[in-house]
This record gives sequence, C-alpha cells and structure tokens, in this order.
Amino acid sequence: MKSFLTKWSFSLFLLVIMSSSAFAQKTVSGVVTDAGNGEALIGANILVKGTDNGTITDIDGSYSLRASEGDVLILSYAGYADQEVVIGASNTYNVSMSGGKLLDEVVVVGYGSQKTKEITSAVVSVGREDFNKGPIADAAQLLQGKVAGLSSYNRGGDPNRPSVIRMRGISTIGANAEPLIVIDGIIGASLSNVDPADIETMDVLKDGSASAIYGTRGSAGVIIITTRKGSKKGGFNLSYNGQVGAQNVLRSVQIMDAGEFKAAGGTDLGANTDWLKEVTQTGLNRVHNLSAEGGSGNTSYRLSANVRNVDGILRTSGFDQFNTRLNFNTKALNDKLTIDFNSSFTNKTQNFSFNEALRYAVLYNPTAPVLGANSPFPFNGPQFGSYFETLGLFDSFNPVSIIDQNYNIGKVKEFNFGADFRYSILDNLSANFRVANQNNSFSSRAYYPSTSYFRGNATSPTRKGRADFYNNESNFKLYEGFLTYVQDMGKSNLNITGGYSFQQTNFSDVGFGLGDFPNNDIDFSNNIGVSQDFQNRGFLTGRSGASPDERIIAMFGRANYTFDDAIFVNASVRREGSTRFGEGNQWGIFPAFGVGVDVNKYANINNVDLFKVRLGYGVTGSLPPFNGLSQETRSIENGPDGSVTTRLLRAANRDLRWEEKQETNLGVDFKSGRLGASLDVYNRDVDGAILEVIVDAAVFGAERQWQNAADLNTRGLELSLDYDVIKNADVSYNTGIRFSTYKTTLSDYIREQDISGNLGAPGQNGTNMILVKKGEEIGQIWGPVFSGNITDKGEPIMTDLNGDGQIIAGADKWDDPKADMQVLGKGIPDFELGWVNSLDIKGWNINAFFRGAFGHSLVNEWRAFYEPRLSTQTSYNFVNTELAVPGLTTARYSSLYVEKADFFMLDNLTISRNIGSNKYLKNVNVALTGQNLFIITKYTGASPEPNLVDYGASDNGGVVDYSRGNALAPGIDRRSNYFSARTFTLGVNFNF
Amino acid sequence: MKNIGKLFIYSSLFFMVGSCTNLDEELKGDITKDISLPGISVGGGGGDSDILGAAYARLRSAGTANHGSYYSIQEITSDEMCIAAKGGDWFDGGILVDLHRHTYNASHDFVNNAWNGTYGGINTCNELLAGTAIDAGQRAQVRALRAYFYMRLLDLYGNVKIITQPNVDAPQSTRAQVFDFVEAELLGALGVSAVTAGMDLSASPLSAANNPVRINRFGALGLLSKLYLNAEVYAGKKMYDKAAIAAGLVIDSGVYSLCGTGCKVTNLGRRPAVASDPAELEGYAAVFAPNNQNNPEHVFVVFYDEATGADMNFSQMNLHYSSQFTWNFDAQPWNGYATLEEFYNSYENGDLRKKNNFIVGPQLDFGGSAVLDYASDDGNLILDYTPKINELVPNSKREAGARPSKFSFKQLGRPNMDNDYPIVRLGEMYLVRAEASARDAGDWSKAEADVNILRKRAGVANLTAMTADKFLSERGREMFQESARRTDLIRFGKYNGTWWEKPVSPAHVNIFPIPATQVTASNGSLKQNPGY
Repeated sequence: MKSFLTKWSFSLFLLVIMSSSAFAQKTVSGVVTDAGNGEALIGANILVKGTDNGTITDIDGSYSLRASEGDVLILSYAGYADQEVVIGASNTYNVSMSGGKLLDEVVVVGYGSQKTKEITSAVVSVGREDFNKGPIADAAQLLQGKVAGLSSYNRGGDPNRPSVIRMRGISTIGANAEPLIVIDGIIGASLSNVDPADIETMDVLKDGSASAIYGTRGSAGVIIITTRKGSKKGGFNLSYNGQVGAQNVLRSVQIMDAGEFKAAGGTDLGANTDWLKEVTQTGLNRVHNLSAEGGSGNTSYRLSANVRNVDGILRTSGFDQFNTRLNFNTKALNDKLTIDFNSSFTNKTQNFSFNEALRYAVLYNPTAPVLGANSPFPFNGPQFGSYFETLGLFDSFNPVSIIDQNYNIGKVKEFNFGADFRYSILDNLSANFRVANQNNSFSSRAYYPSTSYFRGNATSPTRKGRADFYNNESNFKLYEGFLTYVQDMGKSNLNITGGYSFQQTNFSDVGFGLGDFPNNDIDFSNNIGVSQDFQNRGFLTGRSGASPDERIIAMFGRANYTFDDAIFVNASVRREGSTRFGEGNQWGIFPAFGVGVDVNKYANINNVDLFKVRLGYGVTGSLPPFNGLSQETRSIENGPDGSVTTRLLRAANRDLRWEEKQETNLGVDFKSGRLGASLDVYNRDVDGAILEVIVDAAVFGAERQWQNAADLNTRGLELSLDYDVIKNADVSYNTGIRFSTYKTTLSDYIREQDISGNLGAPGQNGTNMILVKKGEEIGQIWGPVFSGNITDKGEPIMTDLNGDGQIIAGADKWDDPKADMQVLGKGIPDFELGWVNSLDIKGWNINAFFRGAFGHSLVNEWRAFYEPRLSTQTSYNFVNTELAVPGLTTARYSSLYVEKADFFMLDNLTISRNIGSNKYLKNVNVALTGQNLFIITKYTGASPEPNLVDYGASDNGGVVDYSRGNALAPGIDRRSNYFSARTFTLGVNFNF
Repeated sequence: MKNIGKLFIYSSLFFMVGSCTNLDEELKGDITKDISLPGISVGGGGGDSDILGAAYARLRSAGTANHGSYYSIQEITSDEMCIAAKGGDWFDGGILVDLHRHTYNASHDFVNNAWNGTYGGINTCNELLAGTAIDAGQRAQVRALRAYFYMRLLDLYGNVKIITQPNVDAPQSTRAQVFDFVEAELLGALGVSAVTAGMDLSASPLSAANNPVRINRFGALGLLSKLYLNAEVYAGKKMYDKAAIAAGLVIDSGVYSLCGTGCKVTNLGRRPAVASDPAELEGYAAVFAPNNQNNPEHVFVVFYDEATGADMNFSQMNLHYSSQFTWNFDAQPWNGYATLEEFYNSYENGDLRKKNNFIVGPQLDFGGSAVLDYASDDGNLILDYTPKINELVPNSKREAGARPSKFSFKQLGRPNMDNDYPIVRLGEMYLVRAEASARDAGDWSKAEADVNILRKRAGVANLTAMTADKFLSERGREMFQESARRTDLIRFGKYNGTWWEKPVSPAHVNIFPIPATQVTASNGSLKQNPGY
C-alpha cells in the first residue's frame, strides 16, 4: 500500500507542476430567482467551478461568496437547469433559473461530491422537500418508501425502538447489517443523534461501487446526511417549526370480550375488563424546533434547538428529548482554509414502560378484575399493591399492575462534534483534515416495588422488590485526511482523491441488580443500601465489560474521470484493517470500479432528455459482530473456598477473515419530458459470511464457533418512476413509483440445512420455524400443514404430505426425510412498493404516500399460542380471528398460524397551506399530517410489516435481548412486538 | 516551487499519520488465558480447595439435574417419569412425547445438549491434563472424572470419539473400544491393572479420605462397579464378578455407612403451621435433603448450591405453578415432570421411600391454607396432585401425576437447589453387588441379602423368592430420580417393552443417535448410529 501511495503522490506531484496558481479573490453576491414566476429560490447551490468553494441561497434567494475574476460560478437547483456565470469586474450577479436537466444536482459521495450525471453507481438523493412529513422522531422514517431498495421498518409504534433499516435486503448476517450513517462527512454516526428537522438532504448510496470507498462500514449501503447550514450573507434568520399530534392504536390483536370468553369455556372470574383499553392511551406528541442562522462575509452559522415530547400508545411509554445542533463555517488564510465545525448535543429521557403490558393485556382473562378487592374469592390485594393477580398461572401478569407499579427509564446523553479543515494548496489541489468525536452515555433504571407480581416477586414472604441499574458509555474517534486533486484537460476531467482514515471505538458498561426491599413506602431504588440481598449470598447480580480499543484503519484512493462530459469513469481502492481479526487476517483490499455513459449525447433520441447507462462493480468487507472472536474466551468457576479455575467458553478462530461482498450494479437513468425513470439491477455475492456455527464439540470442547461459514447471493431490481401529470402555473401534480424486489439465496453453507426461530413457552419450545438451507432462499417458514381436521381430543391433524401413510410432524423431525413438512411461506417480501404523490394548487400542497410489501408471510405467534381453546389453560384469553378452528383445544404450530401478510397502506397524508407572510411572521406554513391512515391486509395480527430480524422468544416476565438479532429467521411476529399506531399531527412553520 | 514544497509537507504529514497501523486486539473484558488458583480450606470439610473446580463443575453444566439434557433423556425415556402435554403447555413440538415413546431422532435438542455438555466436561479435563498445574493425585482424579464423562457417552451414544487432548481430533471408536478405554482409565487412576478381590490400593494416587465432591479411590471403584455391571450391554462381556468385587470394596471400606435411623438433618422444608411436617429428615430422606452435604452414604456426588453451584432445578421442573406457595419459592415452578402412576403404585404404603420420593394429594401453603390453582381444569380450585395421569398427550390435567421430590425442597428455595446429587452412593453399591452376584451365579436369591438391607432402612419387609423382575422393581424404588432407570431397563431387557402409553420400541433406540449437527460438523469423522 505504501508503494501505491508513493506512486500516487508522485503522479500528483507531476500534475501539480503543470497547474497554475489563483487570482486574487473578492466577494460576489446576488439573488437567484425562478425564471417563470420571479420567486426567490431558497437553497440553490452556488459553486465556484473546479473548487469546493460554494454556498447556498438563503431564504430570500440571496447568496454571497468569495471568488476571483475569471472564476465560473455554477448555480444548481433541484428541478432547474444548471447555469454558469463567469465572474467579471462586477460584484453582483443575479441569476434567474429555469426548469431543465434534473441531473446537474450535486450528490455527496464518499470524501467529496459529484454531479448527479457523473455518478456511475446507484445513488439516490432525497431533499428536505421530499421527506416524509409528520411527527418523525427517527430520521430513518424520513426515507421510508422513498428510495427503492431501502427498507425501513418500525414494527408498530414503539417510540423507543429505532427502525430496522436494510439496504437491498440482507447484506450480511453479522455486524454492519445496517447502512452506514455519515453526517456532514463524519462517518459512523447514529441516526438518533440528528433531529429530522435539521436535515437538508439524505444521499443514499445503494451499491458496492458507491460505498466501497467507505470500506467495511459501507458494506450495507451508506446514508449520507447533510445538515442544514447557515447562510453566508449578512443577516439573521430565526425560524420555528412546531408540531402537535395524537396517536391511537391502529391495530391490535383480536381477542374475546368477557362474554365471548365465558361462552367459549373460559374460567369466569366475575368481572368484565377490557385490558387493552386499560393499558393504552391516546399518545400526545409535541415538537418544537427553533433555529437561528446567519452569517457575514466568510462566516456563517446555524444553531437549532429541538424539543420533542412523545407519548406512546402504551400508557406511561414515551420520551422527552432535547437536542441542539450547531453548524459553523468560516474561511481564513486568504480564503484558502475552509473550516466547517458542527456539533450536536442530545439529552433524552426514555420511559420504556413495559411492552409486556400489551402482551399480557391480550392474553389476560377478560373476566379478571383489575383490583384485588373485586376478586371472586378471598384475595390479599394489598400484597400486590391492591391489584388482582392470577396466581398459579404461568406467564400471566395483571397488565395494569405492570405499568402502574413499575418503571423502566433510560437516559441518553450524546455529545458529538466534528471539524473539517480544507486547505486549498493550489487551485486544483486541496487537503482535508477531519476530526470527529462522538460520546454517548446511556443509563437506565428499572424498579419493581415489593408489591409487584411482575418481576417484583410480590408472592415471596421475604424477598420482594427489585431494582436494576445499567450504564454504558461509548466513544468514537475519527481522524481522516485526504487530498483532492482536480485536473481539467479540456475535453476530459480528472479528479483524484486519496487519504487515510483512523477510527477507534471504545465501549464500556456496567450493570447491577438487587432486590429484597422492606416494603413499598419509598422508591427503594433511591436507597439500595437497605436491600437484604447484601446479607444473602447469590442474589446480587452485577456485570461489567469493556471493549478493546477497537480500530479500523484505512488508506484509500479514488479517481473520477470524465470524458466529453458524457463518459464517466470512477475507480477506487481501499485497504482496510480491523482489530476484530487475528494476526495475518487483519487487512483486506476493497476495490471498486464504475463507468457511466450519457448515451443520449451521442444518440440524440427524439424527445429524450436523458438516457444514461451506468455499470458499477465494488467489493466491500464486513466485520464479525463481536470483538475477540479470533481469541478463545473463558469463564470463571469459583470454588466455595476461594479456588478459581476457568473453562473454555468459546473456541478461538484464528483463521477468521473478512467477509467480502462483491456487488455489480447496472443502472439506467431516463428522462423524457414529464417522465423520469431510473432502473437498477444488481447481483451481490457475499463470500465467507461470518456466522456462529456448530463445530465438532468433541474436538473443540465448545460446540459453537464463529466462522466464515456461508456464501450468500442476492439478485435484485429497483425501479423508480416519476411523472409530472399536471404542470402549469396554478396546479402541479406529480406522482412516482418506487419498486424494489430482491431474492437472497444461501449459495453455500457449511452444512446442508439448519433451522432457527424457536416459538417458545408455554408448550412450544424446541419448535423452530425458519429453514436455513444450502442453495435455497433465506427466510423460508417451515413446518407441517394443518389438514383442517382435528382429533376427538382437540388435536390438529397434519397433512400426510408425502402420502406414505404416516404423519411425521414433530418439531425434532424437521430434517427427517420422511417428515410431512414443507415451506409454508417466506419471511421476506417478493417486492415492495412506494407510491408518492404531490399535488400543488395555489398555495395548497397535498402529499400522499402509499406503500406496501407483497409476498411475505408471518407466523402469527398470538394465534399459535392463544387461539386454540386450551382446555388446560382456560384462564388465558383466547385470540379470536376468523381463522380460528372451533374444537381445536391444543396449541401446535402448523400452517394454520402462518399467514400471508401482504399489505398496502396510506402511510402518510399531508395537507399543507402556505399562508405567506404578515407583519411579524414570514413564510407561514401550516400542515396537517395523518400517518398510517389505513392499511389493507388480510393479516390478522397487529402489524403485517415484514419482520426482518428475530430477537427470539421470551416468556414469564423474561427480557427480550435486542442486542442480538437473527437475520436468518425473518418472518416471525413475536408476542413482544408493539401494536401499530395511527397518528394525526398539526404542524406550523414560520420565520420571524 | 513553493507549491511543490507544500505538497511534500502535506504528503509526508499523511504518511506520518498513515504509519499508525497498529491493529493488535487487546481484549479488556474477557478472560483469554486460564486462571488456576487453589483455595484455602479452613478447618477441613469441603476439601475441594484445589484447581479442579471447573472440571467438577462441568458435571452440573452437563445436565445432571436440570431440564433439557442428560437427566431428561435418562428419566423421561423410562417408565418412572414423563412430561405430559397439558393442552398448550409442555407439548414443545412433540419432543417430550418422543422421548417417552422412544421416537426420538438425531435432531432432538436434548440428545444434542447431553452430547455437547459431556464433551465440554471432557475438554476441561483434557486441558487440565495437558497442563502442568496439577500433581499426580489430581491427574488421577481428572482421569477418573474424564472416564466418568466417557462412561455417560458410552451409555448414551456408544460409538463416540475418544478425545484425550484439547483440539486434537480422533477417529470414532466402537462401543466396545470406549468401554475398554473407560475401564483402563479408571484402573489407571486407581493405579492397578485389574480389579481383584483383596487388591492392594495403598499405592493408588487417588486418596482414601472421604471427600464426596471429589473422586477418591472408592469413587473410582464405584464407577468401575457400575461399568462392569453393564459390561454385557456395553461390550458383550460378562464382568459381573468384577462388578461385585468393586462394589464390595466400597461397602467394606469402612469409610461409608448407610444413612438409617439416627442419621438425620433439619427439615428445611418444614411449614410450622403444618403439623405433619417433621422437624427433621431421617434415614433415606436425609441422603437427598437440601442439607445432605457430608451424608455418610455419599461416595461421589455432584456439588450443588443455590448460589455457587447452580443447575439443579427439580423444584421448577416437577412442581405445579401454585406449589410456589408451599415452599415460598423465589420463582414460579413449571409444572413439567411427573411420575407414572404404575411406578408410584409399585411402592407399598409403608415404604418410607414413597413418602420421601413423591408429592401427592391436596397441597397446603406455608400458613396451612389450601394452595389454589386459579386456572384449575378439574373443577376444583384446590391444588391436589393425583397419582393418575389421565393421558400423556394432549390434554393431561394440570394437577395430574405424583411429583418427584426425592431431592426435597426447602422453604424460600431458589430455582437452583442445594441438594448434592449422588453419582456413587453406598445404597447403590449394595444394589450393584446384589445384582452382580446374582447374575454371576445365575441365582437371583443371591441378591436378597443386600436388597433387604436397603428394604429394612425403608421400613418394609424383606423380599423373598427373588426374581429379576422383583429385583428391577426394587432397584427402581431405591434409585428413583437418580438417572439410573433407562440404563437399568436396557440391562434387564425391558426398555423396548410396553408400559402405560409407551408402545414397543425397536432395539436401535437403546443407544441414542449422535446429534445430527455433530455428525455434519465432524466432516465425516462421525458415523451415525445404526437405525437412525
């Protein structure tokens, strides 16, 4: 690599000799307007050609920047043709822009930016005006359905769970399954630390050739976020954006009311309680965003503060967040040095409440009273905080008691900053140095008083109450430096970038739990010293951990070559090393290559404005999901008298190597009049996917080890279509389709097949449902087929699929060649669809966004456990859908509980009105948004959204571990999932 | 030229930074090297102040007394226990019914867990033996412990790999070869070449001192006696004479005694408000009580402790949810394991073992009030265990079946129990000597004397006119819940027969399949057992 760099810098050196030095600079300014109606264009891009020196127009369409005589300003704005203005003696250049070639927008790519037309890979840029509207707390939701191939699912409306984001499906089973987030050039940020209101654009790099420059962390795609910047023109602008909304349960699980339950043979406990009503609420959301921006001369700033107060549909759930972000830009040293500084601070208090309350509200006996005082038999209510409890029943807790007696609160503090120093060494050579630091701390406390049956152990005569504490801290440091060299050679252009990147992550955590508190007089989590667990051995739980200095070090180079403004070639290479591999396997080389041709320039097809073909190929790497896999780890055995010994916990795999992803993408961009289209097809091979697999326990002493155990192949197609149906001075209506489909196959695997995704307790442990089979698609739901008949004992009779006269359908027979099982559905959709609509009529805008996913199925766990009229568990409520089979009294997994979950929904409808300005307020805009207004689906569960990652079963008050998801087991709708919500929001924006 | 100079400066700056390429991974929160520290034993007792803790702890994690592994496949495949499916509860994809009806196959989770847990123990032993931290006596102990792990594999799977060094593969051995290996290792640990009457063990590297949480020479002899008792099944060799000699050496050692009258411990499960709860547990009951440490009958036991020795979960596994209130358990039980009615009825009513081994009838809580089951399916809210189990599947009643309680429960018990679990105990040695002598002589009356010693302790009359069936039944009553029944039924040729809801099963099920995942992971070096 060093020799590569040496050669490269030598050629740079030669090129530098040929270049010339700059003229003296001055400040030029002007106003950019729409050529049609003369209105100011806000946020138009102005760039000094051949440099990175640029700005955007402010709220009045004004700009100012430093440039020299002879420089060329390139003005660009979404939906308008680029214009070039040569700087002469004048200092003022007003420009009016007219609609035209879309593709001269600038797209931010890794370590630089490119004109859209020069892009040779699959990149989609979504600007602020195209984001989803409404009370969006999670930046990922801004893009939901907007980018073909990017899936963002937030199953249900849990305000404290981030969306699951996947680019082009499953790119890896290990780490880096989520796209890399880059905020203002700083990689590795998390979406949670940028407030949606502060985002200007999001550029989505979908394929390998685009993301390869980011190396490992870009292997699941990249989302580049550019936050809003201040204006450099003198002045000050203060704007406000506020929203207030309300959300309600959209869909829950269909269960019986007290009357139906009794009629179905349920145990009557005398009362009539609607448990779902008892634990849910209309959740109010309030968002205030205030931003100030301004600047003068070379300096601009933007400061924003956001307050979010969100309540979930589950009573007591929600969060309060305060977030502030500062962007500061200036120039120094005769404008040769550009400094961009940004920082953000987030303070968030999360009330997680207990999603279990939703689960137990579904399955709790509807004839049970809320309070012990209303029990049909003698019941010691005070022992349980006056609540009733169905003692002696497995996995059954009074849901009202759960949320009213206990709390689980998390506090997040996040402080990030990044600075980018760019120095123009020469007109066409600049050096960037970036430093960034992200600090995140999380602390949580859960408290279960001595009267709580749920986790508080209220049944115990002595050891009651529990408090759990947890803290973690993480720190991420980034140092990057790169040189950019631009050479205009008349008919062709060359742009070369090369640099070095150093990333280090440190993580540490500590958790502590104890109980046995005297009573319920005070919150004893504030006074844990009184816990009698200190006197009794073995009850205190504590753990702590620390990551190693986890590093990624990379050297990279990229060259972009443009010929005739019509043929574009990009090539990049990144050599990257990680501490997660053992010696000898730490480094990987990841090249990428792309070529694009503006065919229309040569073919000149009639009525075609754009016809561009792109071909890209890129290799990226994926890391194993944990540190230390190349080393063995051991656990301690403590003897009663102080002896200490250890035993092997995990066998080392010193041969673990980079998982490599090779992706080829072929794309076509087309525009003709009102029609725009973009088509991408891709083929992706993941070689050596890192998985925890079963090894020969006799030899290794531990039956599991992380290995490069599988190869995956994904083929996909993405299509975006946009059409301006109406476009005139009064009315404009455009509509667009985002279509994507992919299929991921396990092309190689260390064994023929495996199965995962255990259904769980009660009674359905050892029942794995998702097949993992060599040569076949990922996410096949596997199991026996219900024949429709039941035995006289109320058991389902499965179908004799192979007709051999015997029915072999036991869960441990899943791989028996004689088993009567088959694929019952697939967890991954056949295709996904987004339909965007925007209608403007005289200051009114109506934005409707529909989306759907088709072809996938879900195992409806609710039905699998609670729909059969269990003769032995008649104190659970019964799920009651039209699919219920009367007479079925035993719960057994089969095709009966696998449902097609195709859906189509109105995800977002926004009606906004631009009221204009008055004496005090400018540009007042009022918007009403409805989210999840309707959903069309045959699925009977709470949410038909695909469940791409499985977090396993939990029961009887157990805790779901969200830190380790299983990407090989999509398609299970777990009982721990939240219900989905419908939200209405009123928003107002204005400037002072 | 000025620019060139600048370029050099910037370029070299990049290289300076670029030279930082250190990627060594130094784990901070994980233990990557073995730590072995002996403890300090104050005032004797315990006696496990060595660095063998991890190896012996593997007995616990290998499923000796919890759900889903060794214990489960030894017990619920037999006629003494089952887990009946209760509507939605405890069906678990049919794998529990499969065990009881012997329709298990190579993908059975429990069969897999037992394999992995046992080889995990072997690996820890191999690591200790490969190191230099242990002395000759400890080496002998670890060899004997490893031999015991192999004895389990021999019994369960038959044809397994004999791995004796960490991470070094070996070919699959036949069941007879595994038998020979186990025998040789135990003899080697004892420092003798064969078991003979009156043999001299004075040079044995194994200690003679009584320390039941470690294997001493009597522990090794006890294991050998059990190995020889099954030699005909394992290797087609009749070695009953040797079995009788080895068991006799333990019995006659003078180190151990049967726990009978006067051998008692405080009853930690007592409810003061319930008059029928005795203040003390005496005799047979004391051998298995939560405070059974240092019981004179224990030769080699697995140490369990609620805080420092987890994984005995019988209270959870066996009892109904509401039984939590009888003992004020820290956690709710699971309502799983129950005894077959016929087996329960094989005890005479006066048999002290019956009272200790089972919980039946209406249940009272700590204060003496009836325990309720609010989801009761028998029309009566009071929790009342019936010996009758209405059916194995699908709709067994929630309260059906006498519940195993040989390893009795204590008040305020935790999910992890305290009772030490015997691998070799003197009571069983009498049974081994009895059976081995009878089989050796071809005369079951030879078994009567030893059997009646145990019956006397149980408060029941002597057995006369002994037959194989009578002996097996008696052995069952004594050894209930000690993971012996499957092996016994096979030795007596009854495993493939019928009982209750169990149909005839083919002979190949007498050894379990090798886990399918392991056959695959072995890259062809493991061949599946015949019939699977």
